[in-house]
Amino acid sequence: MKKRNYKQTGLIFFPAFDWAISPTHPEREERLLYTRDQIFEEGIMDLPQILEFTASLASIHDIARTHFCVPRVEDQTIEAHLIAAGAAILLAERIVKGQIENGFALVRPPGHHAMRVVHGNRGFCNINNEAIMVEYLRSRYGIKRVAIVDTDVHHGDGTQNIFWHDPDVLFISFHQDGRTIFPGTGFTYELGGPRAFARTINIPLQPGTSDESLLYVVDNLILPILKEFKPDFIVNSAGQDNHFTDPLGSMRVSAQGYAKLTEKLRPDLAVLEGGYAIETALPYVNMAIILALAGLDYTNIREPDYWSGRFKESPDRSGQVRKLVDQMLHYWHVRDQMPPDSRYIRGQFYERNNRIFYDTDYIEERQLERLKLCDHCPGYLSIESYANHGLGKSGKVKCLSVPFTTCEKCRSEAIEAYHQAKKRGIYRYVYLQDKSADIFFGYDTGSGKEWQSEG
Amino acid sequence: MNVGVDVGGTFTDAVLLENNKVRTTAKVPTKKDLLESVLEAIDIVLEGVNTKDLKRIVFSTTMITNLIAERKYENVALLLIPGPGLAHESYNFGTTVHILSGAIDYRGREIIPLDDREVESTLADLSRLGCRRVCVVGKFSPRNTTHEKRVADIIKKKYPAWKIDLGSMIGGQLNFPRRVTTTYLTSATREPYHQFINSVRQALAIREIDADVFILKADGGTMPLANAEELPVETIFSGPAASTLGVQALIPPGETAVVVDIGGTTTDLALILSGQPLLSSKGARVENQLTQVRTLAVKSVPVGGDSALQQDGKGLIIGTGRLGPAYCMGGPAPTPTDALRVLGLTELGDPLKAEEAMTDLGEALNLSARDTAGKVIEMVVERISSEVNNMFLDWEQEPAYLVWEVLQKKKVRPSLVAGVGGGASGFISQIAAKLGCDPFIPPYAPVANAIGAAVARPTMQVSLRADTEQGYFIIREEGFQGKLKDRHFNENKALVLAKEKLMQRAAKYGLVVEPEEIETTHREVFNMIRDWTTTGRLIDITVQTPRGIIGRVLKGDE
Repeated sequence: MKKRNYKQTGLIFFPAFDWAISPTHPEREERLLYTRDQIFEEGIMDLPQILEFTASLASIHDIARTHFCVPRVEDQTIEAHLIAAGAAILLAERIVKGQIENGFALVRPPGHHAMRVVHGNRGFCNINNEAIMVEYLRSRYGIKRVAIVDTDVHHGDGTQNIFWHDPDVLFISFHQDGRTIFPGTGFTYELGGPRAFARTINIPLQPGTSDESLLYVVDNLILPILKEFKPDFIVNSAGQDNHFTDPLGSMRVSAQGYAKLTEKLRPDLAVLEGGYAIETALPYVNMAIILALAGLDYTNIREPDYWSGRFKESPDRSGQVRKLVDQMLHYWHVRDQMPPDSRYIRGQFYERNNRIFYDTDYIEERQLERLKLCDHCPGYLSIESYANHGLGKSGKVKCLSVPFTTCEKCRSEAIEAYHQAKKRGIYRYVYLQDKSADIFFGYDTGSGKEWQSEG
Repeated sequence: MNVGVDVGGTFTDAVLLENNKVRTTAKVPTKKDLLESVLEAIDIVLEGVNTKDLKRIVFSTTMITNLIAERKYENVALLLIPGPGLAHESYNFGTTVHILSGAIDYRGREIIPLDDREVESTLADLSRLGCRRVCVVGKFSPRNTTHEKRVADIIKKKYPAWKIDLGSMIGGQLNFPRRVTTTYLTSATREPYHQFINSVRQALAIREIDADVFILKADGGTMPLANAEELPVETIFSGPAASTLGVQALIPPGETAVVVDIGGTTTDLALILSGQPLLSSKGARVENQLTQVRTLAVKSVPVGGDSALQQDGKGLIIGTGRLGPAYCMGGPAPTPTDALRVLGLTELGDPLKAEEAMTDLGEALNLSARDTAGKVIEMVVERISSEVNNMFLDWEQEPAYLVWEVLQKKKVRPSLVAGVGGGASGFISQIAAKLGCDPFIPPYAPVANAIGAAVARPTMQVSLRADTEQGYFIIREEGFQGKLKDRHFNENKALVLAKEKLMQRAAKYGLVVEPEEIETTHREVFNMIRDWTTTGRLIDITVQTPRGIIGRVLKGDE
């Protein structure tokens, strides 16, 4: 029995050794094998500062609170997804209850490319583990303000999409410049919806960026913004593909860099995202993050081919990063003075068109997203989504989402819109996600059947 | 005929089994001279028996646990090769530690070479300090033994008299700190353990017994006496293993039961799931030191028949220590045994003294002697029952790393509470009632541990790891590292090879194993994909001889 007067770091290690997207895919059984070897050999699970938990499954209801899965949650998820999301939920719950200091869900499959509407797998993700966990905390524990800091080399476009209009969730992502890597987004001008301006902050970095610039961004941009935003809960989408050996990314961050980043950020919960240098990076970076979270000395962690001073930042690059930081700070400072862009206003709605590509499943999705501009609440969201699967399975769906802090008028309008859409017959499926009441409906126009899920 | 002997700290117990029935039992106080105690116990059970008819004799002992608890062992220096990772300052094992340069990674590749000159100067330092025993332990050494072996070679050349133990030979699982502790304790207890083995040998020689002799291990298996000295730490904690196996032999087969062994100051709990004792997923914890020793999952609760009782004006408190025997047996303080006596749940001790103990204890709380006794029993029962529930919870919540393992998780609760040990009879029916189980006091409960020793079977395991990309394989238990010549080596060939090695190893220990009896306890295969093609396989396989007991012990009329 471990009994301590300090709180421990909770850890769920779920390598899903029996799950892969396909046998040779980067997201395969072998991915966390060497990480397991390293953390077991180091005796991490025996450390008095660490408490290991077993993952449990997230419920279908928990997924429906965040996503519109087409046609149903069960069609887009297998057990491995439910376990990964369930792990994040379990640790978050323990943290909120004060049973552990912080946590790390070292799990796969990952989730940060999964958007609000899910037609298939994109960027190795089906459902968004962090978003599902955050919505769970808001629903069950009344957590008000959450910050999600995405440190994966790829832009966390799924998380950005889900919280785009949400003024209470701050999403910050630094990543390799989208012009050079999947998913091709995450530019500085992507700043969130009209009612959540600068609650989305993107920091695209040039290929080759190393520890020094990364930590400059953390110290001078991320930490000051977090300090002002005052989140009740900080999540780190802890991708490890900024590592200098990652086969998909082109950055030059070291395990020491990741440890320092974690130490500065002090997230309540870190959730593993990408990272595909399964031998040369993951064993070291995962261990660095664990030790940093637990407040242990990480300075002796070192990759075999790393030496201090190996990656020197050029003065050019440092200068560019400084400018970028200043630019983003400016947006942050004027966040509450920006009126909605009138070009996108249609009556009482703010409209935008989204084109989403599912690289893993090769699906093209077109969306018309409409936010009700309400003076009393963040407004409800109406999404019309058309997915082209290329093989005839295509069709249109309608999704209505009522926020946690909705006003009664918006809520009844959304419910009315749902019933109207059911009658129109042009949508294959119609969904109503009422977060304020924690009830979610789905309707299949073909069969005329409706289903619902309640917590 | 089989004999089981359990050499405990207080008593030495023995039983003689004939055709799966108990023929005689013995219980004698353990004396300072172990030889004398062993002789006394076996003489009682062997009276009138022709020693030629004895097939086997199994010993279990808590001697090593006691030595470790009292820190009565020799000085050992640790030479560690940890390389990068956790800060070296965290490697504190309560003895001299020297850190050597060098590192091996998770695939067994050398990432930092050894520095021979540094090794030599470290050895010179140790020599000046009068060192005679060293452990050489490297991080990831079970994946590549060359660094440890190189250091051992240097020691043998320069200091041939030193005793050397290598981590890869003793702690073959992945956990460096536990490997260090296990190796350290092995080295430190070798000498006293050698003396114990000698006492046993002498006793058997004196009585002209030439049956097969085995020692019980913490995992409930046995090893031949002749080989026991290789790994003395395997015998730590064989006490709970003995009583658990004893219960396993005495309850109906396939039953899920909790074994509650109530002693003087502690109560040991163990689980039998569908007829098989539960093994701990991690190694044994010895006096707060974590080891890699395979052990039954046992839990020690600091409550027993002799625990000192107090009151604080508001309620009763069960102390964690023992001040002496129960008050009704002439001890200084009230105890749960006195409570049992007052309620007529035991015949031991003086009833008037017990009454007096309970009256005194309850006075400040305005409780009668009977009410006080009732409350004491309730508290003990509550404490033990909740620990039993926690044990099941811990087992259910053991980490799972595969999707199907997570989906398999289910709730299991016992149907039987089996009580052994001195305090059992008074408490078991109430603990069982609390847990919704049937109480069960097995026949011969006082010597269940000796029965457990008598029915234990030899066990042995072999773990093979093959890395086909690098073209080598390792037999963990032997510290053997060989080249893979077969370019088409695969999982099935690995299994065949592991079984072969197990049979060879068993033969060396004088055990006969049939290939079809061999159990595969761990099987893990990973395809290594580099740049979208399969470049090799990592295969880990563990096989073992069958676990279990030689048979159930039948009651007289069965």
